[in-house]
Amino acid sequence: MAASQIMELTSSEDEDQDQIELEAIRRPHRAVKFDMKHANQEDLEAQHHHEPKHTNALHRNNWSSSTQRVLSSMPSRSIRFNQSTALSRSTKTRRRRPLSIVSTSYCATEQEVFRGQEDCVDDVTQNEDLLNKLQGLSAAECVRVLREMPLSVSEKRKIRAWFDFWDAGQPLSANRARCCHQFKAWFLKVLCGGCSGRVSQQKSIQIWQGVLKKISAHFGTGILSYFIFLRRLLHYNILLFFITSLFLVLPQISNPPSSKNKSEATAELWMLTGMGILTDSVMFYGHYGKSTNESCKPEIKLCPESYNIPLAYIFTIGAGMFITCVMLVYSISKSFGKSFRIFKTTGNLALKVFCSWDFKVSKKQSVKLQSVNICIQLKEMLSELSCKKQKRNLYSTFGWLSLHFLVWSICLLCIAACMLAVYYLHPYIEQDNHKLTKAIDWLKLPLIVSCISHLLPGFFDMLSRAEHYGSPSTQIYVSIVRNLLLKGCIFGVLCYYWLKKISVRKNEPNTSQCWETLVGQELYRFVLMDLLFAMSYIILAEFLWGLCIRNITLRRRKLEFDIARDVLELIYGQTLVWFGVLFSPLLPAVQIGKLFLLFYFKKTSLMMNFQPPRKHWRATQMSAFFIKLLFFPSFTGALACVIYTMWRVKPSSDCGPFSNLASMLLLGKKWIKGLGKSKPSMLWLSWAYNNLVDNPLFLFITAGLFLGIIYIHMQVLDGQKMIISKLQEQIDNEGEDKKFLIAKLQALNEAGAQQ
Amino acid sequence: MGGTSSKLPKDLLSEYQELTFLTKQEILLAHKIFSELQGGENGPYSSRVSMQKILTLPELKANPFRKRLCHVFSTSDMKDGSLNFEDFLDLLSAFSDSATLEIKSHYAFRIFDFDDDGTLDARDLEKLVNCLTGETDNTRLTAEEMRQLISNILEESDIDKDGTVNLSEFQHVISRSPDFVSSFKIVL
Repeated sequence: MAASQIMELTSSEDEDQDQIELEAIRRPHRAVKFDMKHANQEDLEAQHHHEPKHTNALHRNNWSSSTQRVLSSMPSRSIRFNQSTALSRSTKTRRRRPLSIVSTSYCATEQEVFRGQEDCVDDVTQNEDLLNKLQGLSAAECVRVLREMPLSVSEKRKIRAWFDFWDAGQPLSANRARCCHQFKAWFLKVLCGGCSGRVSQQKSIQIWQGVLKKISAHFGTGILSYFIFLRRLLHYNILLFFITSLFLVLPQISNPPSSKNKSEATAELWMLTGMGILTDSVMFYGHYGKSTNESCKPEIKLCPESYNIPLAYIFTIGAGMFITCVMLVYSISKSFGKSFRIFKTTGNLALKVFCSWDFKVSKKQSVKLQSVNICIQLKEMLSELSCKKQKRNLYSTFGWLSLHFLVWSICLLCIAACMLAVYYLHPYIEQDNHKLTKAIDWLKLPLIVSCISHLLPGFFDMLSRAEHYGSPSTQIYVSIVRNLLLKGCIFGVLCYYWLKKISVRKNEPNTSQCWETLVGQELYRFVLMDLLFAMSYIILAEFLWGLCIRNITLRRRKLEFDIARDVLELIYGQTLVWFGVLFSPLLPAVQIGKLFLLFYFKKTSLMMNFQPPRKHWRATQMSAFFIKLLFFPSFTGALACVIYTMWRVKPSSDCGPFSNLASMLLLGKKWIKGLGKSKPSMLWLSWAYNNLVDNPLFLFITAGLFLGIIYIHMQVLDGQKMIISKLQEQIDNEGEDKKFLIAKLQALNEAGAQQ
Repeated sequence: MGGTSSKLPKDLLSEYQELTFLTKQEILLAHKIFSELQGGENGPYSSRVSMQKILTLPELKANPFRKRLCHVFSTSDMKDGSLNFEDFLDLLSAFSDSATLEIKSHYAFRIFDFDDDGTLDARDLEKLVNCLTGETDNTRLTAEEMRQLISNILEESDIDKDGTVNLSEFQHVISRSPDFVSSFKIVL
């Protein structure tokens, strides 16, 4: 080849190397090429440094024809999909690897080098090659590999037909072996539930599919992520509802205990306040008895075998929380895999140009808006690159710091004020000796808390606009942190009040009070008031205010959807439900209704009052972030409070399934310890509990093992990052080598042509 | 596949299900929509639908890359962008929920390669940016901005410094964006 000839020539003409002078060809509309006048390494580097903006690319319009031929046959130029290479890559390992599509075909034609690739490839040999590689695979593997190849469906069908034809001609023993392999594969697939990637079957029966498509057609992927998050919360609540209703509510409904006291049968606004009829219903903790047949008299009817309600209570709540935890962790790991990228600090323009078009948007107006947004963003990024960053002197740094400090202190003061307000406005503090008969008094606190949690973040956002953050993502994260802090503090104050104050109150001698029912009713009121406030906010602030804005401002601007704030609202509501399921097992049902209503209200308001977002919302990353927030601190906080309640807080002594115990978990412990004695066949469970779960040493060892595994994975990740950077360097160096060789080749050709 | 206009044979349906990333419902819906598009053509058995008819679909009507989509997925000998049913399924499969990143980036590269030469050179990039920013005059970039943008893109993504972005370099850039997979989707 020409290249090898050049290598021989250059090695024999070593002493002439320094005298080779290539002129830098300047093209007016292209960048400067490299200058080979100086053979020294430092001079070359200096020149690179001197012209940092130019692409320094290997591109000339008048290369000689032999140089052109060499260039065009380089693998990077004649890339086209090579089936056998792709196949060998994808069958080597089960893990997903990018398909290799480097072709080694050599195109003989000079002029049509870049076109007519189909003419160059020898199809017959390629297909034989492909079949050879496919031989080692089972049918299912073959199909999986075929699916992932970027060929057209008709070509894939041809290949599959050849494979089936070849397969049919195989000897019987090979068939039998493959049969077992196929059965094993099928069994594994069923077990893993579609790990090989066919979970898309379930996706088509998801609810709200058509509505979500309409939303994404108008507004794009960013706002769609809010509605998808809402749907995810709905799934969690449906699951929790099924578990509690099957194992707790239904048994209790089918065998209701005798009502101990005729509570106030009618109370105004009983549906909103949760009092009245609802107090002694399956809605709240107090209704649940010790077992289902305590009121069953054997002489009147046949008593069913006793269903241990307290045990069922513990296990149901425990199982519900555990399954939710597992599902959350699984979602986090999946979304982490999707959103984890090793980012370079520079190099976002190419990313913007290649990846920013959202193909889901299909309405003409929205497409135009998307184009305008992309244009503005590109212009902003270009202007940022060209102008230099201002150096901050001491004075402006001091001013900037003091501004931030001021805003943060205002926010923290507001949060502290809200915490005090919530604490002191609690109805039980005011109550003291007289009963609160007006329903509206009960609703005061939930209303105030909803007000605070909806409106104060908007105030924080206004303050943060005065701060002039460097990048929009910093601003979003800061506002999320402030919002979270507010909601977390309010939830903390409420939990503290409920678990520390209400549970140890001394009741009046004649009334029997279940503090758990009271707390359950409080949570019920909170969830409902949240919904009512959200709906009225949508009507007032979005419909009416949006109407005013549209008609008053000349440009007919619509409102902008604040995704972060609304998602945090959802997370806060879900935290209340997860904590409240212990006191009110039907609370997930209320939350399901709330999410349904919220979805339709928000969707209608979105279509009528909002415009597509102007700033780019990194949907995948922010969704992953919100799921992480849903797990920590939302789910872990609620779980910690539930565990604390079950473990440390004394249940009320005259109602509920745990009425004469020091703590709820003690019942579980007693039961397991007594299990060995009552049922000898379950002795192993009792033994396992005593020696494994209750034994701190075992727990330490398992925790240590997990930490060790996590550490090993982290080290592997670090090692891979290092390898990536080294490979990057290697590619850069090889690029330099290629430039050098091609220039030499050209120089020699020119020298030869001149002679 | 000319076939009857109403029903898709079961074995063909299961084969399409295995070879593409589409579910059964999606394939049936695609068949229904494709038959409707075919209905107006001359003769019920012409298996290819012309590009103009495909572009009347609401999902593609306003997309700036619609013509390139038809050209990339078309297997017609006349290179007129007409699609038969299998080409249509290919298009939907590449844009479906479960298609892999490799498939999507491969087809994205081919869509952005306006002159079909296997690499994205400066002319391709210029056409791409013009498609993205729209047709109206006030959204186009000036010549100076375009030059700067293209040189920056090549500087960032052209690893082997040959002045064009080839498929591997393109896939390397795409792999840095977690949003690509979710935005490269079309659902009927």
